[in-house]
Amino acid sequence: MSLTSVKEYFTPGGKQEVLELLEKYGDSALIVAGGSFVHGLDARDLLFGIEALIDIRNLALNEVSSDSAGLSLGATVTFSELQQLNEIQSSAAFGALRDALKCPPVQIRNVATIGGNIAAACPYFDLPTAVMSLGGVVQAQGPAGSREIGLQEFFAGLFQNTLETNEFVSGIFIPALPARSSSAFIKLETNANDLAIVNVAVQLTLDESGSCQEARLVVGGGVAETPVRAIASENLLRGRKMTDELFKQAGAAVQSDLEPISDHRASAAYRSATAKVLTERALRRAVARLDQAQASI
Amino acid sequence: MKKLVTLEINGKLQELAVEPSESLLQILRKQWNLIGTKRGCDSGGCGCCTVHLDGKAVYSCMVFASSLDKHKVTTIEGLSSGNELDPLQTAFIEEDAVQCGYCTCGMIMTAKEFLAKEDRPDEEQIRHAIAGNLCRCTGYQKIVKAIKVAANR
Ligand SMILES: Cc1cc2nc3c(=O)[nH]c(=O)nc-3n(C[C@H](O)[C@H](O)[C@H](O)COP(=O)(O)OP(=O)(O)OC[C@H]3O[C@@H](n4cnc5c(N)ncnc54)[C@H](O)[C@@H]3O)c2cc1C
Ligand code: FES
Ligand code: FES
Repeated sequence: MSLTSVKEYFTPGGKQEVLELLEKYGDSALIVAGGSFVHGLDARDLLFGIEALIDIRNLALNEVSSDSAGLSLGATVTFSELQQLNEIQSSAAFGALRDALKCPPVQIRNVATIGGNIAAACPYFDLPTAVMSLGGVVQAQGPAGSREIGLQEFFAGLFQNTLETNEFVSGIFIPALPARSSSAFIKLETNANDLAIVNVAVQLTLDESGSCQEARLVVGGGVAETPVRAIASENLLRGRKMTDELFKQAGAAVQSDLEPISDHRASAAYRSATAKVLTERALRRAVARLDQAQASI
Repeated sequence: MKKLVTLEINGKLQELAVEPSESLLQILRKQWNLIGTKRGCDSGGCGCCTVHLDGKAVYSCMVFASSLDKHKVTTIEGLSSGNELDPLQTAFIEEDAVQCGYCTCGMIMTAKEFLAKEDRPDEEQIRHAIAGNLCRCTGYQKIVKAIKVAANR
């Protein structure tokens, strides 16, 4: 790690202390959670002038609670810890999160936090796509208290979020989904240790007759500066029965909602073609998951 | 400003002063001469710096040494007791899973955590488990075999 301008490494034990440090250092402070993206930021020259690293892992933000309203995940809960949760291991509704958590290598899963993954606002990460499909909300802590920010509003662009300089993420809330809900996530990468070329997450709620009551389809991984909702496909899915033909149409419709970027990983045209195929597959996976869950009732 | 941290390395309690942006990898190699842990990419992409932090495999190049107060680190040097090698080390030797050896210590540390959770893994699970460790020489076959052999012991 180079980080030549860094002068202090703080390990505060409470939220108040973090807020005071943020106030004092302003733009020259960087919150550190798992620390696994600090290199990534440094390599992209985004840490210019950082003087104070504020490690938030001693704040007891690594707690998880679950009730009928949903799942509250503390900002510093790691990927490995999330993988151990019953809700995430078994529910069809949280399937997208389960799929996305498997992506990074174990050395990353053991340190990377959900708060850090979301706060980084990196378009190539996987959890943002999955969490957005589940309607996740960021809990931001500032001097005046805490506020909730929907993910779409939270992501402001490439490596940019809408936090104020004196705020930090204290947790992520994922609302409980109605019965007969299911979700799935799929990623295309070049090798097992790579970030996404395209990733897709879908969340479906079906009614008793098997028609789609609610659909949320999110495409990320470099199709834009932030993950995007594929509104045209969602509209196409609502009210319809789940058939292969419909999945194909939904896949094609996704392309109309995207303006993918071209970079060293893939061209825009390739990303667009891939988004179509991954959408069809994610829909099939989500429906299969629901069938399986119902068969085991 | 340097920060004073107390941590356990391979069973011994150590106190040391670290620079704010120094990595665990740097202090292992420079301050303790624990050079089994290798520096490859220094940015989380190759795995040869893998050690255990509180029993979990991590890339030591990505861990800030300043964050380690009251934590516990185990490196490849901490796996064997005296001249007695860990079963994974023995299996790597017997199965010829080492060529240049640069990836080996990291590979073994990753496999060690994995086998603590999974005592009878199949080949696919082993390959998934070592996805964060690159080897430029062996082609992985013998590494996978060695991990399987160690699991069966
Ligand atoms: C080899 C490798 C492979 C990877 N593979 C994948 C993959 O397959 N899929 C995937 O999704 N990701 C992958 N990643 C990225 C990884 O998931 C992220 O680096 C990680 O989630 C970031 O979390 P962290 O806790 O380590 O954040 P940190 O590195 O500590 O911080 C990241 C950024 O978020 C800010 N931040 C952190 N926490 C907060 C907070 N609570 N409030 C405000 N700001 C905060 C920091 O200031 C910093 O800007 C990979 C990374 C590496 C190095
Ligand atoms: S040196 Fe740490 S992962 Fe390559
Ligand atoms: S033995 Fe040479 S890199 Fe693996």
